[in-house]
Amino acid sequence: MLKAGITGINAVDNPAPGIGVVKGLRTAFSDLQVVGLSYDVTEPGIFLASLIDRVFILPYPSRGKEPFFERLMYVREKTGLNLVIPNLDSELPLFISLEDELRDEGVSLFIPTKAQFELRAKDRLIRLAKRIGISVPETKMVSTEAELTKALDDMGFPVMVKGVFYEAKIAASYVEALKFFREISSRWGFPVIVQEVVEGDELNVVGVGDGEGGHFGLVAMKKLTTTSLGKVWMGVTIRNEALFESVEHFVSETKWRGAFEYEVKAAGSKLYLIEINPRFPAWLYLAVGVGVNLPERVAKAALGEVPSRDWNYEAGKLYVRYTEDFVTDMEVFKRIITRGER
Amino acid sequence: MKLKKIAVSEEGFIFDPETGNSFTVSSTGLFILERLKKGMSLDEILRALLDEFEVDEETARKDLADFVQQLRLLGLWEDGKR
Repeated sequence: MLKAGITGINAVDNPAPGIGVVKGLRTAFSDLQVVGLSYDVTEPGIFLASLIDRVFILPYPSRGKEPFFERLMYVREKTGLNLVIPNLDSELPLFISLEDELRDEGVSLFIPTKAQFELRAKDRLIRLAKRIGISVPETKMVSTEAELTKALDDMGFPVMVKGVFYEAKIAASYVEALKFFREISSRWGFPVIVQEVVEGDELNVVGVGDGEGGHFGLVAMKKLTTTSLGKVWMGVTIRNEALFESVEHFVSETKWRGAFEYEVKAAGSKLYLIEINPRFPAWLYLAVGVGVNLPERVAKAALGEVPSRDWNYEAGKLYVRYTEDFVTDMEVFKRIITRGER
Repeated sequence: MKLKKIAVSEEGFIFDPETGNSFTVSSTGLFILERLKKGMSLDEILRALLDEFEVDEETARKDLADFVQQLRLLGLWEDGKR
């Protein structure tokens, strides 16, 4: 029986991919127990008993390797956990460093290597883009206000001001850019990334690299509407050969292993690489819905089975996100707070 | 120069599968697009417009050129290099 640990079950206004991953696995495997792995007692997935069988609170990754590993071993003992699909950037370095130990204990993963994870870091993306032959918007790393001023003088406005790990804001003036620089550096540290704003369509690709230069399928989407946080609310599948070529070049050049999201801006026929995320995107269910069940493929690859490589989906399939509310008993909340599990 | 591969519905909804962009066209626009998709030349389409609509040749020619220019601006008319 597949006993899959899934993180990122916070389906909120800035959702993580966990619930989409669970829906994909539920579609593929009938003999499945889903173990939600959560960092916060208010993550909605904790209360979704129809999708998630058991839930355990994990210590924050910042607490280090040992408590994290011990907690996962506890989860394994209680549930027989044999697979984990991590869905959050912040926990990935820890899972990467624990991959061998977890495998020795019977818990499989199919995730990027440390080197791959680091290659696509925001402050190294330009170098990677050069290797794979794709343009990037003009980008400067700044660590002081003087460097920021110089970058703004060179680039003009508007510019994106981005944190080295998370967060991106558009600044239309020097005052705004300085404000974002201070806010973002206090949250995420240095350098802060200042980037030219490229006008164009935002196109995203989700895929799973096989670790040997090939992949287990790609699905591309254009965002049609987004929330105020820039998260997709409606999207449509596309088939764009130039984009696929670029993604396949990235996968073969890096021998990417595991899930990824490749984000570009298309200005006419020219593509600009914006970001590569080392995990599934929150809109991943679109891939499942068009018949390319990538979570199933990650699970099979992790367990040493041979996943399908078919990704012959149709362009023009619409993705629609919606909110739902439900009422549940206080009991689950009490249990998760007092025992850290349900 | 040719029309890019696009999906055109009977009601005039156009979807570009490469970019995900969608558009709507008037019945005259649809008349032209359907013929472009069939591979008819602009001269053939001009003659079809003159047969179908009460319009003088100069106006029809200008409108057809405008429409093709719109397609070009929207990235639906390509130079055939790709």
